[in-house]
Amino acid sequence: MASRAKTSQRLVGFGLYAYLALTLFFPVAIVLLWAFYDPAVGWFPPDIVPRSLSLSAWREVLADRNILPAAGLSLVVSVVVTAVTGALAFPTAWALAQFPFRLKRLVEIFILAPVIVPGIVVAISLGEIFFRLGLTGTVFGVILVQIVGTLPFMIRILTATLEGIPAELIHAARTLGASPTVAVTRIALPLAWPGFAAGGLLTFIASFEEFEKSFMVGAPKVRTLAVQLWSYLGGEVLILPTAAVVTLILLTPMLVIFILAERLSKDDVMAAGLGKL
Amino acid sequence: MKRGIGPLALLVLLLPGVGYLLVFFGIPLVRVIYGSFVSRTGAGFSLDTWVSLFANPVYMDGLRYSLWLAVAPTVASLVIAIPLSALMQANETSRNVFGTLYKIPLVVPGIVAGFLVLIILDRGGMLSRILQPLGIPMPRLVRDDLGVGAIIASAWKNIPFMTLIIAGAMAAINKDVLHAARTLGAGRLTVLLRIQLPLAQPGITAAVLLTFIGSVGSYVIPSLLGPSYPKPLSILMFEQGFQAGNWPLVYAMGTLLSVVAIVVLLAYYAIIGSLGRQKPVGT
Repeated sequence: MASRAKTSQRLVGFGLYAYLALTLFFPVAIVLLWAFYDPAVGWFPPDIVPRSLSLSAWREVLADRNILPAAGLSLVVSVVVTAVTGALAFPTAWALAQFPFRLKRLVEIFILAPVIVPGIVVAISLGEIFFRLGLTGTVFGVILVQIVGTLPFMIRILTATLEGIPAELIHAARTLGASPTVAVTRIALPLAWPGFAAGGLLTFIASFEEFEKSFMVGAPKVRTLAVQLWSYLGGEVLILPTAAVVTLILLTPMLVIFILAERLSKDDVMAAGLGKL
Repeated sequence: MKRGIGPLALLVLLLPGVGYLLVFFGIPLVRVIYGSFVSRTGAGFSLDTWVSLFANPVYMDGLRYSLWLAVAPTVASLVIAIPLSALMQANETSRNVFGTLYKIPLVVPGIVAGFLVLIILDRGGMLSRILQPLGIPMPRLVRDDLGVGAIIASAWKNIPFMTLIIAGAMAAINKDVLHAARTLGAGRLTVLLRIQLPLAQPGITAAVLLTFIGSVGSYVIPSLLGPSYPKPLSILMFEQGFQAGNWPLVYAMGTLLSVVAIVVLLAYYAIIGSLGRQKPVGT
């Protein structure tokens, strides 16, 4: 009986890892092959593995005047978007978490609306409005449009975290003579840290990988890394080795953040912001 | 005990978040809806744009294709996410490592998912290189009429999200219930179908809804992997707007896409309401 249970456990484990191998390790291995194949020798069907490897695609990417600036731009945009999103979201989340008021449900639905309405609709409409305002093709415009997508999640995650802070705590601080500002900055902000961490990581990822909004508002002048990758994938020309290298560059910060997020926050913090409507 | 707050202070607190969304989400959305009802000459109310939208097969095919590119990946990822979630419940030891790794596609941009499909499923891609020596002809999977490549890329990206929510809902089920059923002679499949799935149903519904809504307006995956006809509304909007300057039509398509998403959301609330479960899911 015990050995049968063990066998079935092994089978389940095997099934799970076979799934991972097929959907994750196999595709990543092929990206690596494309990033390191030797264009001087070529890699044509039916060869499954390139005949020789080289760093030529990496040299090309380093020499390319578009890619490293695009990576730098993506980094700057994501940091600014994350900081501004956090700053805008906190007061609103605080109000939603701590105070009952009329029309609260309406405010919550409105905050959720940008998640429901397809992003492309707002992206194109804002693109047209920004064009009239002269904001098209500016980094400022790209930052503004990205925040529309990140703010709802940040507000929801922070609200969920702040709801867990007992009102008595703030009450006690106030009774002991702390001003509202001090009560918020010394008690609420530190206690909201898990929410800021989870929401911040989610925002950074969402901003770094964002394509549609950045493309509609920023193109063709402002090119984040995702927009630059699009141009190598048939948007302008199809260059697989360059695309493979850019993909790896794009994925590195994502994976670092992913590991950070796994260690810092539990799924339920993310799920609080994502799963419930 | 929660304290009250003055209306002015409340407004000041709400203003940064809500105000930002009013300006940069509310205004563009109102403009989209309003713009679809203005006559081409720019004067007065008119249904001209809507009439020409519904009369033109390009846009009606576009609507159908947008729905297809949302429904098919949702069904595909559900079919994979349910067994994955159930297997994760069954195997305690692999849950840690697997439970971390399977989530990686969550942080992989849609454009990279498209790239993975290109290098594996396109002609000359890895799958055709493997199949060719075996004498198996490679079907066309990229830029094909059904959008199989686009559906695979979109499903690949959504499976971890669905699994996260469904596995979470399944993990919340009281283990005693499962043990009781097993002791009373129910097989694993019976337990899955009769106990785990019904009890995880609110989570599943939410995951389905969010996947559908996330896919219905997707642009980058169909633009890389989809056929040249039909095109989903997202691509038609971009072409008609920034390339042809036909903005009223863009606004009508945008309104249509938003209506589809909202109808699906209302259907979700109706389902949840009829179940009598207002409990938030995914927690």
